[in-house]
Amino acid sequence: METIDSVLSEADRAWRAYGVSSADRRVLAADLRLDLAAAAADGGDPVQLVGGDVAGFARRLADEAAVRRVRPEYHRLLLTALAGALLGSLLGAGIFTALYPLLVRLIDIPRSIEIPVQVAVVVYYGVPAAVVVAGAVTAVRLRLRDLPQIRRTALLMSLLLPAAGIVVTPITMAYAWSTDYSTAPEVLVVEVVMVLAALAGATVLARRLSLRERRRATGAAPDAAVEPA
Amino acid sequence: MVVAEGQPTDDNDRQTQLLRGVLDMCLLALLSREPAHGYELVRRMESAGFSTISYGTLYPLLTRMRRLGLVADEQQISPTGPPRKVYALTRAGRARLDAWQNQWTRFAGTVDAILVPTDHSPPRS
Repeated sequence: METIDSVLSEADRAWRAYGVSSADRRVLAADLRLDLAAAAADGGDPVQLVGGDVAGFARRLADEAAVRRVRPEYHRLLLTALAGALLGSLLGAGIFTALYPLLVRLIDIPRSIEIPVQVAVVVYYGVPAAVVVAGAVTAVRLRLRDLPQIRRTALLMSLLLPAAGIVVTPITMAYAWSTDYSTAPEVLVVEVVMVLAALAGATVLARRLSLRERRRATGAAPDAAVEPA
Repeated sequence: MVVAEGQPTDDNDRQTQLLRGVLDMCLLALLSREPAHGYELVRRMESAGFSTISYGTLYPLLTRMRRLGLVADEQQISPTGPPRKVYALTRAGRARLDAWQNQWTRFAGTVDAILVPTDHSPPRS
């Protein structure tokens, strides 16, 4: 049984690298386990049966089963999102620089109206953050339109990135407080890495969730009646 | 053509190529006699004279034939071990086997007619 498990573990790694969905991997592995167990009961050694190249066998099996392969393309996704976020931040800074004096001139809030500082903070930081998220999502949606399920990925990013931002902001602030709001380069690097890691995690999670697909039957056609032997 | 010193390897390669074109038909034919699980089919192929067919070749092929509806599998309780996934021919598989057999018979007849020398065509020296 241990050898069957080791063969299946190696096959699963190969299927994962080959872009086979988790649902299809489970079906392929369950089928293979049954067959190898029957062979082992008849004296066959699973490792010898499959041969030395388990990964090659696993890929052939996936091809013959015609399972749908989807590559997550995390690397491309993260680079594109980062490029979009940078462009968004530049665009946001430009718009902010251009509009701020105009808004100050046009909207004259009376001194009698007191704006809570929390609202000011949300507007001051929230608007640029929204522009950055919009830049990342738009870049992913437009530049990676060749990838399957990218529309859903972009939609989930637009939900998860702000959520990640909301979660990581107090954590980063707490870290800054713990360092007495130090502006030392190493402290700033840690803060930037914390924020980027949270945003990257949200992006990867959005992709993973978007690629979850319904378990697809790989069995025989329903009308495949068995011929009497 | 083939050089003599590399003949054993070339023979094996040629056999593999020939078998590649008929392996699915052979599997269907074996299953038409009696349902079997994957490893059992490997042994039947060995008994038939094809000892080079490995489980690693046969199992993906069975998976394809199942996907195409040519064979179906079902779990059978075994008194001596774990449940067996046994493959059996489907009606579609039977029809396909008949068609392939007819095609093979015509093909083999044509090849034989070419290979067997007639009295009117002596070999050139």
